[in-house]
Amino acid sequence: MSKLYNPFILSDGSKPSCMQMLQLILDGEASHEQQEYFKSHMDQCSPCFKSYSLDIKIKELLKTRCRGESAPIELIEQIKMQISQNMTS
Amino acid sequence: MEETIKQHYPEKEKNEIFNNEFLPHISSMYNFGYRLTLDRDDAKDLVQDTYLKAYRFIESFQKGTNAKAWLFRILKNSFINDYRKKTKEPSKVDYQEVEAYYNSEDVDRQITPDLRVESLKDMIGDEISNALNSLDVDFRTVIILCDLEGFKYEEMAKILDIPIGTVRSRLHRARNLLKEKLSEYAKSMGYKNTEL
Repeated sequence: MSKLYNPFILSDGSKPSCMQMLQLILDGEASHEQQEYFKSHMDQCSPCFKSYSLDIKIKELLKTRCRGESAPIELIEQIKMQISQNMTS
Repeated sequence: MEETIKQHYPEKEKNEIFNNEFLPHISSMYNFGYRLTLDRDDAKDLVQDTYLKAYRFIESFQKGTNAKAWLFRILKNSFINDYRKKTKEPSKVDYQEVEAYYNSEDVDRQITPDLRVESLKDMIGDEISNALNSLDVDFRTVIILCDLEGFKYEEMAKILDIPIGTVRSRLHRARNLLKEKLSEYAKSMGYKNTEL
């Protein structure tokens, strides 16, 4: 693993921590190369593996539990009404 | 979102943009407003204000570009400039401290030992929502934008007027705080620190 080229290494030569790598993966910000590297890294890094499953689950919970409420119909109507009033005034 | 060239839309086209590109995001906007203010009436006011501004400044919007990010940016600015001033809630976060923390060696030692995937499975009530709402508004915001709404770091940087590096560090800190909160819930629900 240590011999493998690490595509996460920054231009200044610094190596991001596990958590920093994980965050890029989780948020879909990692390149294909980085994803491949992380997959093999996870096989050997138990904290990364554990955090990965946990973080994915939290992200999923946030998406399903904290959104989904529709905007009230009267709000949409109010906005449309205000705009047509502004246009005619 | 940056300095844009003013567009000239005829009245009919303005309405088309408004109806087809702006209005489809209203539920996401309402949710964002609610998560920021934690009050449904305030959220309605904030969303209404945002849409009226969006219509007024529609010529700064380039048709076919990222309407959702543009609207979120307006709402966030309205929240900071109007709502926060009104409620006099100052920002409590010392970002320099956060940055220093993120770049330090300690960053990976910050772990949440007793939070496990299994304990999350029992959080079928409002736990996750309450945990999110309990975070300071600036930390809450990055989680909303990233995890709830799926914005990319670059879009978040533009919405929030901060560098991408700050988006990353704020998100990292926000998630750790959220996990701490979830750990507290997990503990109170009877999960013990049985596995590290």
